[in-house]
Amino acid sequence: MSATDGATPAARALRHVDEVVWEIPASARPDMRVPARVFADAALVEAIAQDRSLEQLENVACLPGIVDAALAMPDIHQGYGFPVGGVAATAPPDGVVSPGGVGYDINCGVRLLALPLTAEELGDRREALVHEISRAVPARAGKHALELDRAELVDVLREGPRALVDRRGLGTADDVERTESGGCLAGADPSLVSERALERGRRQLGTLGSGNHFLELQRVEEVFDRRAAGRFGLAEGQATVLVHSGSRGLGHQVCTDYVRRMDAALARYGIRLPDRQLACAPLSSPEGRQYLAAMAAAANFAWANRQAMTHAIRESVARVLGRDAADGTRQVYDVAHNVAKLETHGGRELCVHRKGATRAFPAGSKDIPEAFRDVGQPVFVPGSMGTSSFVLAGEPGAMERSFGTACHGAGRRLSRTGARRRITGGELRRELEAAGIVVRCPTNKGLAEEAPFAYKDVDQVVSVIARAGLARRVARLRPLGVVKG
Amino acid sequence: MGHRFADHTGEVELLTEAGSEAEIFAEVARAFAELVDRGSAGRPGRRHVALRAEDRAALLVDWVNELVYLAEVDGFVPGRAEIRIDGATLDASLTGRLDAAPANLVKAATLSGLEFEEGPDGWRARLVLDV
Repeated sequence: MSATDGATPAARALRHVDEVVWEIPASARPDMRVPARVFADAALVEAIAQDRSLEQLENVACLPGIVDAALAMPDIHQGYGFPVGGVAATAPPDGVVSPGGVGYDINCGVRLLALPLTAEELGDRREALVHEISRAVPARAGKHALELDRAELVDVLREGPRALVDRRGLGTADDVERTESGGCLAGADPSLVSERALERGRRQLGTLGSGNHFLELQRVEEVFDRRAAGRFGLAEGQATVLVHSGSRGLGHQVCTDYVRRMDAALARYGIRLPDRQLACAPLSSPEGRQYLAAMAAAANFAWANRQAMTHAIRESVARVLGRDAADGTRQVYDVAHNVAKLETHGGRELCVHRKGATRAFPAGSKDIPEAFRDVGQPVFVPGSMGTSSFVLAGEPGAMERSFGTACHGAGRRLSRTGARRRITGGELRRELEAAGIVVRCPTNKGLAEEAPFAYKDVDQVVSVIARAGLARRVARLRPLGVVKG
Repeated sequence: MGHRFADHTGEVELLTEAGSEAEIFAEVARAFAELVDRGSAGRPGRRHVALRAEDRAALLVDWVNELVYLAEVDGFVPGRAEIRIDGATLDASLTGRLDAAPANLVKAATLSGLEFEEGPDGWRARLVLDV
């Protein structure tokens, strides 16, 4: 049965496999090596079929050495090369690594902090806290960003946030422990990061960036799984702060450098691609190995960036709520959603590309902190401004069906221009404030582009993830204030 | 002739038309300035750019990535551009504003769906920018 009346050949090739799985068979195109599989319900598929994301997923299925299937999470939307929400696992030695399958914002990710008080206790100090955080966490390099000398920057690239905690006192060992991969990807080699990338990164630690990057003050509105919430340090009514940012210019430059290099090397490796942005090289090649080492350094920088912002947030908490509240602000976890990692799945060592997708390892995994090992890894799914975000926990189904992966957000539905055609930033600001959400955003244009209706329904996306057995709901968070770069 | 931004769910798609190859590069620089300029005065400044790429289309991607770099490191917002193209090499003199605090909106230009070709009515290019 055809899944959709969508106009694109990719949409027409989509077949319904079960309640929440759709598939384009490998036979749909002569260059596809594996099927393209989408986790979605019928309503989401209809939205997904509106742009070129399914064609992009088919393109991913053409990558040399890809195994099982090219996967898409329910928040999939059109990106460049890979769709956002795409997952691809490739097998060494001949399988490839593709910098475009990670993206320019290497280790863009989400960190959640839990404050030691409820939103009710926070009361009318909420606006002051949002304002203070907006001053302490700049969008770009400037007086509030950390400036590192070369030796410090190299330490950060090699060690991640641990370098900031140990040598500058910016956080705690517990922060580092409660970070995916301990905030440090093995094999990071700063010497493979270009001078340009180093120059861009030197003054950018502690900066948010712009676009869809944001900080949010939230309240835990509902707890679905008390045991897991307890392990994560979350309770109903509690105030939390969510940080969404990445590796800034340093990571962008690493991706730019290696896409260019691999694009030039494609003919040498006899690789033909349907989209040039999928530029890649065998995992065993010099280009492949060096990209992974440079990407790891950029990923470590991103974790350190979120660590520096965590410190700035704690200092803001101290100024508004006192030092005890700052000291009691604990990191729940930090997850990457743009990264390629070497992992073992089904007894095979694979390179798992997650582009706008989150690792979601279940209970029992040795790769997650001891504190979560009986409930599964926390996964954060930010909604859009004005709607809910979710805390999930990884489930065994993720290991069986998605290389240990769940979604990373609600997923865009409308283009930025499409969003601006429907609402002005001023109107949206008034709507959010009327709903009791404090807004700090320097431009109305940037605000309008991130309007809630520009995104898919996060409840629907999370429902698919839960029904597919990839992760389960732990808590729902409701925004109290938003800071945008 | 000129440029416009087309609908793209996740990123920014830039379509450019011009009478010559060099004018495409100049038009792309104008579009970039439109995206990042936040109106801060800065100070007058010049930058020289020399690039060599795999091919003409990749040269256009490199050009935008150079503008991204200059915006981020020097706070440079491009104004007038004098550009010479020879195959897949570029030599450009840019006048504009330094320390102009441009928005750090554009992460990079991508090779995705990249087009750069001559048609009956002149040159046209299609670029997807990661934002």
